[in-house]
Amino acid sequence: MSELTVVGKPVQRVDAAEKLTGEAVYGYDLVLPNMLHGKTLFSPKAHAKIKSIHTEKAKKLPGVVAVVTGEDAPWTHGESVKDKPFLAQVKVRFIGEPVAAVAAEDEDTAQAAVKLIEVEYEDLPVYTDPEEACKPGAVEIHEDFGKYRKAEFIVQGAMPNVAEHFKLRTGNVEQGFKESDLVLEERYFVPIIQHAAMEPHSAHAQFDKESGRLTIWVANDAPFRALHEITEALGMPKEKIRFINPLQGGGFGSKGGLKVEPIAVALAFHTNGRPVRVKFNREETFISTLTRHEAVVYSKTGVKKDGMLVAREMTIYWGAGAYAEKSPTVCIRGSLPAPGPYRIPHVKVDGYAVYTNKPVAGSYRGYGIPQGAWAGEQQMDEIAKRLGIDPVAIRMRNIFVEGDISYWGEQLHAVGLKETLLKATEAIEWGKKPTISKPGVKIGKGFACIQKPTRSPTTSAAGVVVNAKGEVTVLAGTVEIGQGCNTILSQVAAEELKVPMDKVRMHPLDTDVIPFDASTTSSRSTYHMGNAVRRASIHAREQIMEAASPMLEAGVKDLDYADGKVFLKDQPQQALPIGEVVRRKLGINGEVRGDGSYTYEIGKDLDVETGHSDHASAFYMYATQAAEVAVDEDSGRVRVLRMSAAHDVGKAINPLNCAAQIEGGVVMGIGSALHEEMVVDNTGKVRNPSFLDYHLATSLDIPELIPIIVECPEPQGPYGAKGLGEPGLAPTPAAIGNAVADALGVRIYDLPLKPENVYWAMQKSKKKPAA
Amino acid sequence: MNKQIRFTLNGKNVSREVPTHRLLLDLLRDEIGMTGTKEGCGTGDCGACTVFLNGKPVNSCLVLSGELEGADIVTIEGLKIGPELHPIQKTFLQDGGAQCGYCTPGMLMMSKALLDENQNPTEEDIRFALSGNLCRCTGYAKIVQAVQDAAAMIRSKNVQ
Repeated sequence: MSELTVVGKPVQRVDAAEKLTGEAVYGYDLVLPNMLHGKTLFSPKAHAKIKSIHTEKAKKLPGVVAVVTGEDAPWTHGESVKDKPFLAQVKVRFIGEPVAAVAAEDEDTAQAAVKLIEVEYEDLPVYTDPEEACKPGAVEIHEDFGKYRKAEFIVQGAMPNVAEHFKLRTGNVEQGFKESDLVLEERYFVPIIQHAAMEPHSAHAQFDKESGRLTIWVANDAPFRALHEITEALGMPKEKIRFINPLQGGGFGSKGGLKVEPIAVALAFHTNGRPVRVKFNREETFISTLTRHEAVVYSKTGVKKDGMLVAREMTIYWGAGAYAEKSPTVCIRGSLPAPGPYRIPHVKVDGYAVYTNKPVAGSYRGYGIPQGAWAGEQQMDEIAKRLGIDPVAIRMRNIFVEGDISYWGEQLHAVGLKETLLKATEAIEWGKKPTISKPGVKIGKGFACIQKPTRSPTTSAAGVVVNAKGEVTVLAGTVEIGQGCNTILSQVAAEELKVPMDKVRMHPLDTDVIPFDASTTSSRSTYHMGNAVRRASIHAREQIMEAASPMLEAGVKDLDYADGKVFLKDQPQQALPIGEVVRRKLGINGEVRGDGSYTYEIGKDLDVETGHSDHASAFYMYATQAAEVAVDEDSGRVRVLRMSAAHDVGKAINPLNCAAQIEGGVVMGIGSALHEEMVVDNTGKVRNPSFLDYHLATSLDIPELIPIIVECPEPQGPYGAKGLGEPGLAPTPAAIGNAVADALGVRIYDLPLKPENVYWAMQKSKKKPAA
Repeated sequence: MNKQIRFTLNGKNVSREVPTHRLLLDLLRDEIGMTGTKEGCGTGDCGACTVFLNGKPVNSCLVLSGELEGADIVTIEGLKIGPELHPIQKTFLQDGGAQCGYCTPGMLMMSKALLDENQNPTEEDIRFALSGNLCRCTGYAKIVQAVQDAAAMIRSKNVQ
């Protein structure tokens, strides 16, 4: 039974067929009987008091069923700070904040009614720069922050508008800088970008007065967290609320937490039991849902002449936008590993999640790692250059290896970083001169290394049901957002029950029937839910073997299991298919259900004063990506020629899917490196809320992609697996930034590396007299 | 203004009274109830809503219902050949061309448009043909591979 039959194989996706024929129903597609259509009024002001709202005209429009404002929905929510109203209360804090909503018989009527709602505002000072917003004397965007309900781990900090202050203290950085032969200090900047999942946001809600039940249909990647948040906000018992997940067209962090759900819920209480659908169009999705944190990163690093790191001090201002959302945990889990995957004796990090009057920032694939890496990994190359050491060599001297004690006080295991570094750089022929040579084009190579923790401690539970036909149904709360979890989890069940993949089915996600799962985030699913499904499958198998024991007239210890059959160890021809065992034991409608759950139990909260923990994460993901780029000297345009990406996944349960995750992540990373930027003007208005003006990578922007899977097994993971979804884009911008600096001899500190930024950096360096 | 319009949809005759300003995308999704055609932007920038209009691929979010009298429309629901998947659907399945799948119907329709015209496209041809179809999951590599494999499949069938 030890040989793997399905796990480790490049199995085709189990969910692809319905997606190729148009049959798949996504949240945005869902039509419910007798459904009303909701539209939202968004704030045109970035920071203002609401003096009055008049809804009378809207209510009178024929076809309108309900108009709601903050008065009708006096609830707030938020993952760790309960600061966000369902609909604006008293004041608005960003352009795009939902202020009121209408439910009507059709969308045209709903939209017309929204235009009839009159709101009077009184302007307040607008903050669009996180560094300005936390200066002494700045006006508090959340004047009642102290009164909000919030998670215990929140540390507010002394400055204005700081929703979280993370501190890491190891050794003595001042002493470290004194002992260093070279100290470099620089400011780096990462702008706001957006997830831009191809399916825009939407939610459906229905409230049945008789039963008192509220049902929400939404493509949300953490339905149990959403359930908890809605329950807590409304003060309703959990069993009265139900989340049903239609298919989700991408997420990348944007569709956890509550986005359109509060608007749909607020309306559903006023529609006499009729369901209401609220869809955001693309522009509304851009301005009103979620963004990735802009970050200002000050990095100061001290090294010895031989390249050994001595001290690193980082101060990071995370632009949280108008509400805290996941900013506190992005600040914590993004700031902690920001100094990089290196042995550094003296480390000091201060991370500040700062409120501004911009769209709300939250979780985004990579969860704070790209911002830290953009600074830290470029500075590593700059140090290498000043010391005349090869960038690979300087990292080899400092990077984490098995058994190292990290600067946050944890002994590290299963560290495949070195192998990723060597393989990624080898794949782009590091050290060899580029083969291409064109006048006016500069070629360069660069790479970057990252480490990424996962949210810990967390729990996943699963059920695995075997029926009398030998068919297997997996009940798991992991959401298929495109990452391939349904395939991976099916492989795990198929492996443990030794049945073909086509005998395994994933149960649709419904919080009434599916066991608890923390969230589909943080690259935690393969590891946590993989373990849970594996345990549930083993539990089902054990019950089947016990049931088969009297049927085969042998003790369980004399039985073995393969090919979906139970058989006698010494007489393998004496076999019973598992479906047959279930039928004989429980009848034709019988089912055997196995249950399993997994919690990473030893994970500890970080110490508030030092940021230390001896088990900060269930596992760590390590990766190195390397780029070869061409820069046009006339225009400043950067083209990535080839990009390798070596990721330590522990064990590739599905190598095809691993490659797919890596490729997708890298290309998202290329977009964020070269052209993605949500432009917000000083009034707080997003100037490019469309795919015409916000440039995602297209099929023409893609280099040769070289995904490389490194397997350094994690003993606690299923079959040794770690996670992979999030790190795919984390080192990409820094790798490209290093390649551009190699090509030009000029370093660029601000993303994105769009032509004008590169062009002006080149011009500036030309003006400098030769050193 | 409402207008009675007649057109063929996936080979079947349709006659409907619709507001002339209704977008073809909304006509398909909201009025006819065929949601295989996806809305990604509604402004002609992402290609998710690509359908065939009189044999040519169009963004259905940029076509008004009033223009449809006598038109021949084919959507993702009409891509199969009888009960069998079109070669491009087969290779998307085999090569992992779909992840979240939301851009996939548009990608498939645009790929078919290319393959209808050119059964021996270069990688450059494919990248150019699909450059108006955005995908946020795959990084495009496996999509390009799937189109190449579909082209080979179509060519080998033609030879037989």
